[in-house]
Amino acid sequence: MVMSAAGAQDVSAPINTADASDASHTGLGQRMTRAVRVFFENWGFAMLLAACGFAAWEIAVRVWSVPDWLLPPVSQILVEWWEKKGWLLSHGFVTAQEIIIGFLITGAFGLTLATVMFWSRILERSIYPFLIASQTIPVFTLAPMLIIWAGTGIAPKVIIIVLFTIFPITISLATGFRSVDADMVAMFRTLGASRAQMFTKLYLPSALPYLFAGLKVAAVVSVIGAVIGEWIGAGSGLGFVIKNAGARNQTETAFAAIFTLSAMAAIMFLLIVAVQARTLRNYPGGSGN
Amino acid sequence: MTCTVEVDNVSKSYDAGKDASVPALRGLSMSADVGEFVVLVGPSGCGKSTLLNIIAGLDEPDIGTVALDGDTRTDRVGKSAYMHQLDLLLPWRTVLGNATLGLELAGTNRSAANAGATKLAERFGIADFLHHHPRSLSGGMRQRVALLRAVLPERRILLLDEPFKALDAITRSELQLWLSDVLDRSNRATVMVTHDVEEALMLGDRVLVLSQRPGRVVLEVDVEIERPRPEDVVTHPGFVDLKWQIMSALRSDAAVAR
Repeated sequence: MVMSAAGAQDVSAPINTADASDASHTGLGQRMTRAVRVFFENWGFAMLLAACGFAAWEIAVRVWSVPDWLLPPVSQILVEWWEKKGWLLSHGFVTAQEIIIGFLITGAFGLTLATVMFWSRILERSIYPFLIASQTIPVFTLAPMLIIWAGTGIAPKVIIIVLFTIFPITISLATGFRSVDADMVAMFRTLGASRAQMFTKLYLPSALPYLFAGLKVAAVVSVIGAVIGEWIGAGSGLGFVIKNAGARNQTETAFAAIFTLSAMAAIMFLLIVAVQARTLRNYPGGSGN
Repeated sequence: MTCTVEVDNVSKSYDAGKDASVPALRGLSMSADVGEFVVLVGPSGCGKSTLLNIIAGLDEPDIGTVALDGDTRTDRVGKSAYMHQLDLLLPWRTVLGNATLGLELAGTNRSAANAGATKLAERFGIADFLHHHPRSLSGGMRQRVALLRAVLPERRILLLDEPFKALDAITRSELQLWLSDVLDRSNRATVMVTHDVEEALMLGDRVLVLSQRPGRVVLEVDVEIERPRPEDVVTHPGFVDLKWQIMSALRSDAAVAR
């Protein structure tokens, strides 16, 4: 009735079948067991599929004797990762920094834009086309200019990440604001709410499920944005590692870096899912996961 | 002498696309005073909710005036408590947080608001659920919370828009009895709309029968059955007689409309 939140019930994660609401009444050990069980209920099949895929890859590469520079077996990539883990993680840390700073800027900027769009129809109509236009910019072609303008430091990467993530965050928030039930608004009016009160006590909390849907999309694309930024010009970061390793035919190093990137994206995604489950636990549809 | 709620000759139409308009109310007059429970009963779509929206100030009449305490100024929003047919509870707030919403918006300090809500919650039968979230409550319980939220700011006017419509029959009759018991009529004017004739007679001091759309008053009856009215009041001869009068009025109006 209130918030069907079709946009918020995205398909990016399996359905959470367990209800974690009563977890606070049980012991720590029980809670851990429960958390592990819930994790495997949600992600077990995906992990199984990944294991099958990696096994097929390993077997195929060995059976057809594919040369290492073309496609190394998974085991060799994992060994490579283990041997260079300190070095890879230090580059991963650089990329993670760019992503986190980009995310924070987008968060503040997107919230401001969505709020401005909520308060003024005229500004909404002015801003909206530019938001869409920002998505049509082939960021990859913009990157060389960004390096001229902003150097080879962290700035151009952060700018690219912001360009990538501003759209999903702002649009999901704006959609959330627009989806607020008209009866709810009328109820707030009859209780004498000011427009500011309506914004903080009705519109913002109502838009949270939409915001989380946007955050999940943004988490994934921000990783791509960071890599593009590093690809064009950087002395560190996983994108830089992949580019260099590729140029030197060190395919297993490139793959080790790609695996690190994927793991980082997955961790970010899971963190957002966890915060979402906690924040939205009383919303219709449970955790909204 | 001025009544608390005075609706005079109100008409209202709605746009229905190209050059068409649907008349919702035509020349409707009614009044309700403090201490009175007035029920408007009418068929679905006769403009009942439109009338409440107009009294609440959410909508303005095309013709006619609405006076609250003799004041016809248009800014009526926030002057009356309004309870919708849906509970409209905020899922992210506890029962207590929902109940005190009106007080919070009015700037009442939190501890005073909580104290007021906790005191009334006992009478409303929701004292045990104050720290629960709405999702764990039944429909009937949720409506009780919605009523508590509506009455806590202590407005002199209470508008009830088919408050039990979304409930099952058993819960509905339970809540009708509960409402007539829990609601203190002495310091407020209550206007309820419903399509349920028995509900109207169970709760009302005065029942106004509305015509088919566009709505106007076709019959007015005083319900002189003493309170409290128990569940078996429906078999009371006076009750049966009034129910018959109202049903006849509704039926002959429907026949004319056809």
